[in-house]
Amino acid sequence: MSSTVLNVSRLYKSYGQQQVLKELSFSVEQGQIVAMLGRNGAGKTTTIRSLMGLIEPDSGEIDVLGFSPLEQPLEIRKRIGYLAEDQQMYGWMTVLETIQFVSAFYEQWDHKLVQSLLEQFELPPGAKVKSLSKGQNVRLGLLLALAHHPQMVILDDPVLGLDPIMRKEFNRDLITHLQAENCTVLYSSHLLYEVEPIADVVMILHEGCILRQASTEELKADVKRVIFSSGIAPLGIHQMRVIDAQQRSHHLALTVENFQETETELDQRGISYEVQDLNLDEIFEAYIIGDPKLPFNHQEPVEV
Amino acid sequence: MFLRIEKGSAVPISRQISTQITALCLSEQLHPGDKLPSVRELARELAVNQNTILRVYEKLTSEGILDKRHGAGTYVADSPPIKQLKEQREQFYEEWQQLVRQGLLLGLTKKELKQLLETALASEAAEVSTVS
Repeated sequence: MSSTVLNVSRLYKSYGQQQVLKELSFSVEQGQIVAMLGRNGAGKTTTIRSLMGLIEPDSGEIDVLGFSPLEQPLEIRKRIGYLAEDQQMYGWMTVLETIQFVSAFYEQWDHKLVQSLLEQFELPPGAKVKSLSKGQNVRLGLLLALAHHPQMVILDDPVLGLDPIMRKEFNRDLITHLQAENCTVLYSSHLLYEVEPIADVVMILHEGCILRQASTEELKADVKRVIFSSGIAPLGIHQMRVIDAQQRSHHLALTVENFQETETELDQRGISYEVQDLNLDEIFEAYIIGDPKLPFNHQEPVEV
Repeated sequence: MFLRIEKGSAVPISRQISTQITALCLSEQLHPGDKLPSVRELARELAVNQNTILRVYEKLTSEGILDKRHGAGTYVADSPPIKQLKEQREQFYEEWQQLVRQGLLLGLTKKELKQLLETALASEAAEVSTVS
């Protein structure tokens, strides 16, 4: 039913000595809302700019709606609504002038939609862009990104600098204006809790590659902390994929990313343990700074 | 129908919503035959992905708590099933057990725990009598 509308495969990019993207691969299905999560410097903006043809990767393949960003950037621009990180418009123009200016670049500009978005977003048409609040600025950017009925919208950290109320409004805008229209959305953020209710899929990006791509519910079901209190730690287990290991006196806490399989094997072997559910922050942390390389993570059982 | 989403919880959002709707049905704040908001409306209100709401409605429909009428929306089922109530009670027993264990760990005696229960019941009874 759904089809792949965006495919990135084995993307590499370095700036001088610094490797920013390292074998980055992912794909996005039609109609999905996908959130790219990562710390500052993880490669979010570089990825997005590569998709838009603004950056030339060192190697790798990108397919956006069937087009190549480097060879057919205009075809992609026509079909995509793009909001750059901290997008600056001309401060001396009014909202309306900005809209007219941008509309000239698009054949399929929908003036009616613009009118209704202006009202819904409560944007004052006559106000100078420089006088707009941060939230109004983002909404103007979103309006400009939506007005040509894009098939896909790519937003680089759109909620950066928005207050909690504006962030919720923004989430609502995504649901009512984009998801309801079956528009595919890819956006980056580092506010995990804001992303959770909205995204069909999250991608955890770290040091230029995707550590995990899954729905948030799948993440919560898969990534759990398993605590062993005494006796033998069950580390002859082949199934368990540990992403973080911590030892306190008499306790060993392992964060695994495949809880169902781990649970089955532990139960079969009659090993007792406690389970802690994790929230998205904890899961993110385990992936990003988790250290699975403690001596416990090897084949033979170890005494705790 | 008032629902609230707790951000940053380890409990998935779909489960937060489905347990709250179930609780509202079982406590008769939602009555059999009441109409629920459409998927789009509830998604907008809670600022939650429409697919999440859809999954919740489908799950609760398959459990017999809600009733999806074609083209007419989603309603509270005529007779919400007993199984659900049983499950919720089982969960409550478990939480109760944990609470008792915690109390014992904090050094409370059995007698003190019993006393706490008596006090809680008494204050609940007082509240009910002032309301009615």
